[in-house]
Amino acid sequence: MKKRWISLFALLVLLALSSCGFAWMVFNSGIGESETWETYERHYAMVTDGTDSELWDRIYESALLEGKERGIYVERFGESLAVPYTRDQILDLAIKASVDGIITTGDEDEETIALIDEAVDAGIPVVTVLQDSTGSRRQCFVGCSNYSIGQEYARQILNLVEQSGDADIQDVLVLLDTDAQDASQNLILLAIRETLEESLGADSPLVVESAAIDNSRDFSPEESIRDIFLSAEELPDVLVCLNAVYTRCAYQAAVDYNNVGDVEILGYYDSDVILEAVSKGIVASTITFDAEQMGALCVQALDEYDETGYTNNYLAVDIRLIGSAEAEALLSGE
Amino acid sequence: MKTVSQKLNNLTLQQKLTLLFALTTAVVLLVNLCIYTMINYMTGRVEQVYVSNVSLNDLGDALDDVQESMEDYLNTKSTEALEAYYRNDQAYRELVGELNTQATDNPILLAQKNIRNLSLSYLDTAAEVIQAKRNRNVELYGSLYEDAVVLCDEIHTYVYSLNNEQFKANADTYQALRRSLQGMELFSLAVLLTVILGSTVVILFTTRSAIAPLHQLAQSANEVAKGNFDIQKVEVQSTDEVGIVAGAFNQMVVSIRDYIEQLRETMERELMMQSHLKDAQLKYFQAQINPHFLFNTLNAGVQLAMMEGAERTECFLENTAEFFRYNVRMNGKDAALADEIRLVDNYVYILNVRFSGEILFQKEIDESLLDVRVPSMILQPIVENSVNYGIRGLDREGRIELDVYQEENSICISIWDNGNGMEESRIREVLEGTIQSDPVTSGSNGVGLRNVMERLQLYYKEGAKLEILSEGKDKGTEILITIPKEGSTCTV
Repeated sequence: MKKRWISLFALLVLLALSSCGFAWMVFNSGIGESETWETYERHYAMVTDGTDSELWDRIYESALLEGKERGIYVERFGESLAVPYTRDQILDLAIKASVDGIITTGDEDEETIALIDEAVDAGIPVVTVLQDSTGSRRQCFVGCSNYSIGQEYARQILNLVEQSGDADIQDVLVLLDTDAQDASQNLILLAIRETLEESLGADSPLVVESAAIDNSRDFSPEESIRDIFLSAEELPDVLVCLNAVYTRCAYQAAVDYNNVGDVEILGYYDSDVILEAVSKGIVASTITFDAEQMGALCVQALDEYDETGYTNNYLAVDIRLIGSAEAEALLSGE
Repeated sequence: MKTVSQKLNNLTLQQKLTLLFALTTAVVLLVNLCIYTMINYMTGRVEQVYVSNVSLNDLGDALDDVQESMEDYLNTKSTEALEAYYRNDQAYRELVGELNTQATDNPILLAQKNIRNLSLSYLDTAAEVIQAKRNRNVELYGSLYEDAVVLCDEIHTYVYSLNNEQFKANADTYQALRRSLQGMELFSLAVLLTVILGSTVVILFTTRSAIAPLHQLAQSANEVAKGNFDIQKVEVQSTDEVGIVAGAFNQMVVSIRDYIEQLRETMERELMMQSHLKDAQLKYFQAQINPHFLFNTLNAGVQLAMMEGAERTECFLENTAEFFRYNVRMNGKDAALADEIRLVDNYVYILNVRFSGEILFQKEIDESLLDVRVPSMILQPIVENSVNYGIRGLDREGRIELDVYQEENSICISIWDNGNGMEESRIREVLEGTIQSDPVTSGSNGVGLRNVMERLQLYYKEGAKLEILSEGKDKGTEILITIPKEGSTCTV
């Protein structure tokens, strides 16, 4: 009888203590402790400007993935900072933060070139992506061939001319970024002109013009593009957009001002919104490239340089044309 | 375990209850302690949540100190400012040294790494500024100072941003901890209540098991109070107060049962004795038509004889009256040995008057024994037997001797006659009581030898002895009564 009560007592104590232990585990687990993390051998910084975040997100994700496979962590440098710094300021920060490598969009601005050179002098290899700083001593440029892009646009214009007859397509307007100081836009414009001239002859009535979109202030490109749609006389037959933001602005303006069908928009990039527009026929077609490949190539180039001291000066990314049918297929996940 | 159980059994009830109370209190205390420790730890963690923010603020302050001391030196080039700069530089380096140095996918740790490297760059720049100032290279330190200011601002921005990130993370942690703490408090309350409830149940059942023998004892006592002594023993294993009481109770019940048995036997014996007395008295009354009447008549005769001056008649009648008065007075009571002897004197006197002095009666009495109490009517029947069956019809002079003396622990009363004597076989038959209808058992006065024997046995239990001694025919008979000295004061 007594033994039973002693056992019951011991059981009670055991139960109470194990309950406390269990509660300790339940209430204390995973609180306040940061999630587990990996450490990496090297730390690369990706520095981008604030435009077209979706494109850069894709490029960054692929770079991050590729980096992790190689024991490298790629940081979207300066993104979490409370103060919005310019790309060059962030580039400067990355250099002073002694990262192991820098992936950045380039341009021909002297300051940018100086910063890239400063990084290289500090022993930090630099890869420019999408836009190059040809005057700098960067290790590699990863991007598309701008001339090829221009040719592709020209072929699309020719298609549109064929479909509609010579009389209907006479004005082609290429939207250029005034802020961009590299030669990439000029190359595209040149390629468009040359290709059209080759196909249609020098005396063709088709005129290729360019419009400088003010990119100096926030939100100014959208206003500039709307201005084009507001003056009906200036509205071209074909509008060539050289980045994703311009494409979306042009598409939205065409819808808002009921100019769908009046102007053929040739877009850039393959975000879901743009694909939607292409599939609906609001945007005639869009030219895109493999963002994943681009991000991965950046990391590969830097890693190769770190490992061997050498890398290719230029790594090309494939471009791709997406028409209405392809857009629908892409949207439906095929 | 067995030893522990035995030790527990050997504890007193007070010790058991105290131990039980102490144990349950200890359990509750232990659980409380655990809960307190857990809650205390979690509260501590809640308090520690924002420590990282405080550290970052300290880092920002230390950076400002470096910047300010550097500016002060640039302004004044004072030794104090330079010392302050070096001191602040050292302090800042120590704080920066605690930051993460590894490339990681944890944004906070990565930001720490960046801040660390930016800070080191800043400190290098600041050192260059100081050096340029000391070298009075105005242009250089002016340019470097601007770089340092920019870098200082950038580090502040970085620290501020990291602080924000950490604050968000810490706020989440804080909320989670608060929720956990609340959950823990509720859980603790539940555990505490369960333990208290469990302890109460244990106390309830343990005290019940400790008190159960008392309950059993009470039931048994109730049965005993109702007069039922045929109860089972109260079984108690423990040696506490309950065990002792139960043991004593069991012993008491057995004792009472034995005492009742003894009492019953005594009562039976008394009843039997009274029955014999009644029997003797009945026979006496049958023989004496009316003793009172006769006694009163004899008294009247005494007075008549006295008036007529007949002294011998008066004496005779007085002795006869005395004899019958004694019979009437000692109705079933015990008497002093002196009274019994006086009765024998009366009886012998009467017989001598009746039979013209045939009987020579002699006495030898230890006078210290005259107050000894004996059953009444034991000597006269024996003397009567001696007369009737010993010396009556004897050719020679009949003699009866009464001796009362004491031996070591006993008193001896001997009645001897020089009469016919008795055969051995006859003596045995008389003593064994096998001759019921024999005149031995029913003398002329109705009180027989056998009756005397039985009354002596009832009065003294086994302490009295009646012997018949005779060496054979015509050799006389001695009736020897031996009674215990200490039993002589017994009363019937």
